[in-house]
This record gives sequence, C-alpha cells and structure tokens, in this order.
Amino acid sequence: MSGLVVSDLVVEYVTDGYAVRPLDGLSFEASPGRLVVLLGPSGSGKTTLLSCLGGILTPTSGSIRLGDLEVAQLSGAALESYRRDRVGFVFQAFNLIPSLNARENVAIPLMLTGRSKSDALARADELLGRVGLEERLHHRPSQLSGGQQQRVAVARGLGNDPQLLLADEPTANLDHIQAEAVIRLLQELRDQGCVIVVSTHDDRLVPVADEIVQMVPEVAPVEVAPHEVKVSAGETVFVQGDDSDLVYVIRGGEVDIQRELAGGGHVLLRRLGSGQYFGELGPLLGFPRSATAVAATDLVLTAYNPRDFREQVQAKR
Amino acid sequence: MDGSAIVILLTLRDLRHRFVRFAVVTVLGAVVFTLLFVMTGLVEQFHREPVDTVDALGASTWVLPQGISGPFTAAAPFSTDAVAVVDADEFAPVIVGRAAVAQDGSEDVVLIGHEVDALGSPPIDEGRPVAAPGELVADDSLDVDIGDRVMIAGTELAVVGLTSDSTLLAGIPLVFTELTQAQDLVYDNRGVVSAVLASGEVRAIPQGTVATSAAGVADSALEPLDGAIASVDLVRVLLWIVAAVIIGAVVYLSALERLRDFAVLKAIGASNRSLLGSLALQAVLVALLAVALAAVLQLFLAPAFPLKVSVPTRAFWQLPLIAVGVALLAGLAGMRRVANSDPALAFSGASG
Repeated sequence: MSGLVVSDLVVEYVTDGYAVRPLDGLSFEASPGRLVVLLGPSGSGKTTLLSCLGGILTPTSGSIRLGDLEVAQLSGAALESYRRDRVGFVFQAFNLIPSLNARENVAIPLMLTGRSKSDALARADELLGRVGLEERLHHRPSQLSGGQQQRVAVARGLGNDPQLLLADEPTANLDHIQAEAVIRLLQELRDQGCVIVVSTHDDRLVPVADEIVQMVPEVAPVEVAPHEVKVSAGETVFVQGDDSDLVYVIRGGEVDIQRELAGGGHVLLRRLGSGQYFGELGPLLGFPRSATAVAATDLVLTAYNPRDFREQVQAKR
Repeated sequence: MDGSAIVILLTLRDLRHRFVRFAVVTVLGAVVFTLLFVMTGLVEQFHREPVDTVDALGASTWVLPQGISGPFTAAAPFSTDAVAVVDADEFAPVIVGRAAVAQDGSEDVVLIGHEVDALGSPPIDEGRPVAAPGELVADDSLDVDIGDRVMIAGTELAVVGLTSDSTLLAGIPLVFTELTQAQDLVYDNRGVVSAVLASGEVRAIPQGTVATSAAGVADSALEPLDGAIASVDLVRVLLWIVAAVIIGAVVYLSALERLRDFAVLKAIGASNRSLLGSLALQAVLVALLAVALAAVLQLFLAPAFPLKVSVPTRAFWQLPLIAVGVALLAGLAGMRRVANSDPALAFSGASG
C-alpha cells in the first residue's frame, strides 16, 4: 500500500514512576487521498499519535509506514529530511512565527527543502492565494484574525506538497464560517492525493472523514442489572489498561488497588474494605482502567453499570 | 540552498520584532564597551607615556647611580666630576627633580635641567628651546603660554617654548630649563647631576654608576602606576563580565520566548545548526552593534577624562573580536536550551 499504514503502535512513557501507555497497539490504514479523523477525549493519545506520524516522537514499538518508508526506524538527519520533505504540519493554536509575515511563515518550510528565497516566497504567495489571503501577504500573525492565522498555518503545511498532512485541531476556536473554509480546504487537499490525518474534538469534521479512528475504544453501554460477583483471594478483578465497564461495591472482604511501575512490578495505592467502592472513574469518564484491582481476601462484590451506580449514589445523597 | 538564508531571515526578523529590547540592550552594551574603550585607552596611555617622554629626550642610554631603578622615581645625585669619565658618541648631564610651578595656583611638575642644544632638550612644538638660565620650556598640559612668567622654588622663569606629550606618572607635566638653573632650583648645588644621557656607543661610565637603556628608564617610570594599572585591569575584567551578562541575558530570554517557534521549526525539518546559528548570529550582531556605537561614544567621553586617553588602533579590532567571543560564550546557555528543546512542543496547547 502506498498510503499510510500504522501497525500495532505502542507509546509508553514513565510519569511519576508509573508506566503510561497513551497508545497501546493502535493500528489503522489510510490510502492516498483519504482524510482520517482521530476522535477522542483529552488524554486519549491524539497528539501523541500525530507526533509519531510526524517523526517527532519515536514510538516504543510498532510500525508506521508512509509509502515505502518505515518512519519508526528513522533517526537524525533522515528524520529531519522526512519531516521536511514528506510531512506537512498544521499545529493547534496556529503556532506561526510571530516575527515573520504570512508569506515568510509559509516560505520557511520551502526554504528548508532547498528552494531559493525568491522561489519559496513566490510559492508562498501562490499558496496564500489558494487560502484566500492574497491581500494579507505582508501581515504578521498579530495583524491577522484567528481564522486568517489558521489559513496561513494550513498554507504552511502544504508548502512542500506533503504526502502526509497532519492537522491538530485545525478548526479549534474558529467560528462556523472559518471552520467551513478550513474543512473545504482539507477536502480539496484530500482530492489531490494527500493523506490527511486530523486530530479533533470537533464533530463537524466527522461527516467529511473517510476514516475515523476512535482513540478510546467505544465501549457499548453495559446494560446489565446489578449483580453479585465473587472473587477468590489473589485473583484480579480488572487490570490496568483494560476497557472500563463496571463499578464495584465491596460487600465482603478486601481488595488491593495497585499501579504498575515502569520497571515492572507494582505499588499498592490503597486497600479497600467492606462498604467501599472502586473502579468508578473509568466507566464514568470513558477512560481505560488506571490501576489493577486484586482481591486481598475472598471478595464479594456488587457490580453496577455506570448509570445504575450514579443513580444509587445520588439516591444516597 | 544552505541554511544561511534561513538563519539570516530568522535573525533579522526577530531583531525587528523585538526591536525595543534589542535597542536597549545594544545601548547598554555600548555604554559598557565605551567604558572598556576608555579603560583600554587609559592603560595604553599609562604604558605609552613614559616611553614617548623618555624617547623624546634623545638618549638611548642613561647613566645612573647604582641602586636606583630610575631617575623619575628616586633622587640620587652624583658629582659632576664623574661626567668627565663618561666616554660615548654623544653624552650630556641632566638634572631630574620634582618641583611645583606657581602661576594662578600651584601644579606639580617634573623638572628637567639640560645643557643648551644637548641631549635632554625636548622637541619643541611652539616657541624655541631653552637658550639660557631663566628660561623654561613647558608641556602644553601645564596651561601656560609663551611669554608667561612662572615661579619655581621662588625663582621667576620665562616660558619660551611648549612641548606636547611630555608627561610622566599619569599626566604630571615636564618642564625644561637650563642645567645650571635646574641645579640651583633642585639641589642649590652646581656640583651634582642626576644622570648622564648618552647616545650611540657608550664606551666608559664612572664607577658606582650603571648604564640603563631608555626602555629600562621608561619601565621604571611606570612602576609607581602598577597599582593603578592593576586596578584598571580589574575594572576591565568586571566590565567584560557585565557585557557578557547583558548579552547572555538577552539571548537567553530570547531563546526562552522563542522555544515554541524553535519547536515548530524543528518539527518542520529545520536543523539544530540553523536554529543555533540564528541565536548565535543575534548575539554577535548585538555585540558588534554595541561595539560600533561604543567606538563613536568614546570619542565624546575620552576628552572628558582628566587623564589623556589613547585608545590604540588595535583596540578597534580586538574589542569586537573579544566581544563576539564573549557574546557567543554568553549565549551558550540560551543555545543549549534551544538545542535541547523538544519539537513536540509545537503541539503543545493541544489537548489530545
């Protein structure tokens, strides 16, 4: 396949001694001319994925293939060259260089690819014309509206005719008219054969997406009635990183809440006993399990779906 | 295209973008560099003054009593009889002494007594040399004119000529009079002299004396200023540190403020070398602009100093070179910050 192939991508890093996996075995494909939308809440790994695709962050394991190039294997100058020649970036908050005017901002990536300054500026003028900013060539970012800055950022991302365009929240903070203009531009680029990967919270992009990658797996609402669960001492109730589904209330026995450490092993966060509950935040917020629950003694639990659990808590109040 | 066009573009645009700050830093740097120019000029003058003054007396060798380092720092007169023992191509006795010239106040001078038209008689800028007792040639820093009458040790002398750059011990003017007049004024004894000046080959000197080169005499005249020179040198070191702190601080601040910009540029493929080059060029430009401004400012400041300030020509290329080195060193902290910056910062502000 000559497009983008992401296989079993894992990114793990250590924070406060704990291992965190914002990406855990992610896979997807996108052919040239496809627009991929990454959907997910904050903290779901969208930006981490964009960083990996853009050659800014090296994944812990897995593969990213763009055409014939294995991106995850690149380093040093080869990585710089990949970012310079094959990838276009549209950063959130525009991230234009404040000291440069619109055409210079767009021309910089072109100059990095070896074009002369005059060539790069001519191409920048053309690109800015395409995004409707021919009247704003010599304006600095502070003299442009948010929408205009975003369009400059898009034009900058297109300068080197990238195989892969990565856009981080390209419609954030834009009104519907400005957002529509950006979406139309992304559609045009897609039609020219570029693989576009867009990270967003914005549902307005969903209808135009060719592929949607859910960064947090959609867990079907659990429609089970509250029920009793028995767990023997030493058995796990759930494991850190699992999809969250049920909330547990302890009727008898004790449970250890543990967190996995970066170098292996685990640390005991707390031991809970009869009348206490655990595992509530993951299902309520849509996050994976952030810790492992292990029965310290034989356990008797009542398992609730999040809705029933919430109703019970509210009833007690 | 190499990265130089990008380096220049980023540097010049950022200088324009933060113009006020860079202008203030350039002016501050220029003030420091102006003081460095002046301090350098003072030290240069301290070293040049005795050499010029001693050379102007025309002698390559000074015959001095043993045990003294120089005629300007110690008084040890010896008998005029000894002069006859000296055998050299050309020689003449002189009197050297400290005196005070009274005319609208009193000013310390170094008094030189020499034979008429002999070694010891200085080049005259205006008027004529001393031709007889009762006459005086003075350095123009003494603020006397030809025809003035001044009092030295209770004796009235007529100013007949002026010299220039005849000073010693950091600006004390020299005055010249006829040998016997000086013997009367300094020792009240015509049987002694302070030294014998000689030029050409020196074949014999009296017992109890030594032949000292003019350079040696000049060096000895500098000894009383050793402390002052060391102090000025220390001030110069401190000024370099101040200059480094000023330039380093602005480069570091600029690096901190531009971390996001640098992250974006790295993300889109800019090399560390280009970005560091931009920061380094900024430091160098600020330093060079400050030095250029200082080179002009010192022209106005130097005349205000009570001592003559002789900024050597070499200072006008050495100072910028050192300034560039200091600026690069000072900017290292900022450059290291940029080198270590993470291009992923370009995505910061994102919420995913």
